[in-house]
Amino acid sequence: MLLQCNRQGSGSTEGPRARKRLLHPLPPRAVGSFVAAIAILLTASVRADDAAARSLLTKAVLSTNVNEQVELIGRLAETESNLVPTVINAWREGSVFVHEAPDGQKIPFLRNDGKARRIDDGTLIEASETNPVETTSKVRRAMKSALDVLTISGADPQDRRAAISKLGMTQNAAYLPIFEARLAAEKDPSVLATLHEAIAITRLAGTDSAAKIAAIEYLAKNRVIRSHDNLKKLTGDPDAAVAASATKAVSSMEGYLRVVEVWGTLFRGLSLGSILLVAALGLAITFGLMGVINMAHGEIIVVGAYTTYLVQNIFGAGAFLPFFGLNLNIPGFHFGGAFYESYFLFAIPISFLVAALVGIALERGIIRFLYSRPLESLLATWGVSLVMQQLFRLIFGANNVQVYSPSWLSGNFTISDVLLGWNRLFVIGFAIAIVLLVWLLLTRTPLGLLIRAVMQNRDMASCMGVRTERVNMLTFGLGSGLAGLAGAFLSQLGNVGPGLGQSYIVDCFMTVVVGGVGNLVGTIYSALGIGVVDQALQPFLGPVMGKITVLAAIILFLQWKPGGLFPTRSRSLEG
Amino acid sequence: MAGSEVRRLEVWGITIAAVVVLGVLPALNVLLPETNPLHVSDFTINLYGKYLTYAVLAIGVDVLWGFTGLLSLGQCLFFALGGYAFGMYLMLKIGKLGQYKSDLPDFMVFLGYNKLPAHWVPFNSFWFALAAVVLVPGIVALVFGYLAFRSRIRGVYFSILTQALTYGACLMFFRNDFTFGGNNGLTDFKFILNYDVNSAATQRTLYMLSGFLLLGSYVFSRWLTTTKFGKVQRAIRDSENRVLFSGYATSNFKLFVFVYAAVISGLAGALYTPQVGIINPSEMSPEKSLEAVVWVAVGGRGTLIGPIIGSVGVNALKSWATRAYPDLWLIILGGLFVLIVLFMPKGIVGIPGQIRDLRKRFQRRESPVPVPAQGATSPSAE
Repeated sequence: MLLQCNRQGSGSTEGPRARKRLLHPLPPRAVGSFVAAIAILLTASVRADDAAARSLLTKAVLSTNVNEQVELIGRLAETESNLVPTVINAWREGSVFVHEAPDGQKIPFLRNDGKARRIDDGTLIEASETNPVETTSKVRRAMKSALDVLTISGADPQDRRAAISKLGMTQNAAYLPIFEARLAAEKDPSVLATLHEAIAITRLAGTDSAAKIAAIEYLAKNRVIRSHDNLKKLTGDPDAAVAASATKAVSSMEGYLRVVEVWGTLFRGLSLGSILLVAALGLAITFGLMGVINMAHGEIIVVGAYTTYLVQNIFGAGAFLPFFGLNLNIPGFHFGGAFYESYFLFAIPISFLVAALVGIALERGIIRFLYSRPLESLLATWGVSLVMQQLFRLIFGANNVQVYSPSWLSGNFTISDVLLGWNRLFVIGFAIAIVLLVWLLLTRTPLGLLIRAVMQNRDMASCMGVRTERVNMLTFGLGSGLAGLAGAFLSQLGNVGPGLGQSYIVDCFMTVVVGGVGNLVGTIYSALGIGVVDQALQPFLGPVMGKITVLAAIILFLQWKPGGLFPTRSRSLEG
Repeated sequence: MAGSEVRRLEVWGITIAAVVVLGVLPALNVLLPETNPLHVSDFTINLYGKYLTYAVLAIGVDVLWGFTGLLSLGQCLFFALGGYAFGMYLMLKIGKLGQYKSDLPDFMVFLGYNKLPAHWVPFNSFWFALAAVVLVPGIVALVFGYLAFRSRIRGVYFSILTQALTYGACLMFFRNDFTFGGNNGLTDFKFILNYDVNSAATQRTLYMLSGFLLLGSYVFSRWLTTTKFGKVQRAIRDSENRVLFSGYATSNFKLFVFVYAAVISGLAGALYTPQVGIINPSEMSPEKSLEAVVWVAVGGRGTLIGPIIGSVGVNALKSWATRAYPDLWLIILGGLFVLIVLFMPKGIVGIPGQIRDLRKRFQRRESPVPVPAQGATSPSAE
């Protein structure tokens, strides 16, 4: 009985392991599947033009004349065989060899993961180790363009466009027939447009003046920015008509470029301003409304960022946190795919809550004793920020941690040549949403009413029976929670490290002071304004000088308007 | 009564400290052989020399914060400017002894300069460098102070702006093309007026000079508090508007104090550079200035002895803690700061007074007269 039980027990523990072994007879390696793919390509492909490709490749590998090799490789594209990219890539990587048979015949073969296959018929071959067939840079260039030409007729429209525009930029007239042949077969409208552009750009380098002028006009009309340099070269063309038309095209193109540049700067500036806004909005509440100088605001932002990191890890492989000898091991859910990608949606409210709790703890523990002494609250919270920074270092390490952007946040798209990143667009939308929510909270809820009352006149509100202590706590929690949201956000845009908060704290204070302390609307204007000015200055001055200039400009601005953009009016002398 | 007693104590304390720092320690360093247990090593002299320059910086912070109510979070900018001005002289004194055997400082050779930039040339002269040590921080403070005080920037706004100023300067000095050595700063000094910078005698002289600078700035600041100027200064701290309405141009008073603090900080920086052997932009980072504020808060602001005790004490603690508990130093510093602000607003110097108050309160509670409970129990927001 006991024995049986035991056996059953051991059997059940053995079971999964054995099944696992069955599932993975070999360690799963990407290389293995790659070899399998090659094997299928080399043997099972039944397309008729494969034979032609094989013979061309064999000739090219065995040829000793570089020019002949280039010519043979150029003809490979016509075969449209799937074999070509595989063999050519192997050749470029040094996996193509030549076997010398006993009868003196030279057989080129391709070796991958210990198996050797003949290039001329795809069968396996017993071959000894030799030096790989070398390539010169000229041959490698020919290989690249052969691959590009092949891609033009490939299945993926994205790849087709990339290959077409690349070949077009070479302005090599030899590709014109290929483009024109493709023009008839192509169905995808965006690829068709790219084809027309490539043909026009290639024709610019031709000799026919009428064709050149037509091409110039086409490029100018369709505002093909890529052709700007090519057009510029043509302004010195010996044919006066061509030169005149090119000059006109260049000037119209440059005007268009300026417009694109302005919109691009505006967009980048708005997104930078939105980041500043999200980061400074919390401070506008704690500093502007409550009058508390919270130097640990930056660290509360970092709390939000690290919370996002933890949520990501809990959705993934789990996290391991060393903490004063206590090792905290958080198991992960190992979600994959779309659910893992959606971790960020969960991270947003969680970062808000965690940061708000940290803020409330800070308010209850320290700040509430210092409401009447603002300079000292500054110093005490700076002490807190030091402690928190060091704690981050001890828990998460001094290095930056990696937070992966979900795929729906990375990537970008263009609207008439202005590059718009999804993450930047998301930042702007998010900032708008947060501002709206805060505005609703402050003006349309009972809590908002209490907050405004307490911030306007604490004593009077207290006399009216408002529990000011509690309102202070909640207000500070709200401000800190907003900082946490900013942190969740910054984690998507850059690295998360213990010093992240320090790089934002001065900017945040500047934003609030410029906007006018105690005025949330002012903070919005000043954040967006600072963002746009910063982005507009960066191309001329570089990022660091741009930032210094903005700081100096702010100091001078405060000379002119000491109360900021929207000073709070008050009859109080000290106000 | 208690005030005069404290003052007499302070005078005695300072006198004894001055005798020890300027007489006994150097004497023990020079006269006793190294084997003697009372011997003060060259390392210790060098370390204390650094602390003394920090103490001067702390006096600068305190004259502003403790006596005028201006919390400057950028005082280290002036310290570093003085240090850079003197460091430039020391850099040029290296001559051909640098890594690249060139007349130019090493970093300039490294960055591909062929010629000394024009603003570096006058620093070949010791006296020019000395003048720059006073003038550069002084003029920067004058311009910034004039702009800030004219537009009545005060309180926390002043603090935030000074922080922005030092942050901007720090970013600027980090750049290589700003011709001040980028993030490596100025280092590898060899000579100062033809004396070897690293010899024990030079270091001892620098130490003595730091001691005299500290004594000088202490005595001058002390004397300032006894004058009418000092009274106005403290009145500005307590209620600027009343002083303004009494017909005083408060901004001029503040400007003078701001420039004075900048100048002594610059001189301290100039003595700091050859003793530590390097000056780089991290000396003017906002954190350093905040650290100087910590020294003053720990020692006790509004007194002149407090900053000295605080800067030497905190730095001695730092030297020990960064070696014994490198991971925990920032936590200790931050925690210390929070505790001081919350429970010891007058710092170490205020401890006897706090004990006295506690004892009084204790006695009163035992007395039959009922005490209003509110004020004593909750130090609340209102």
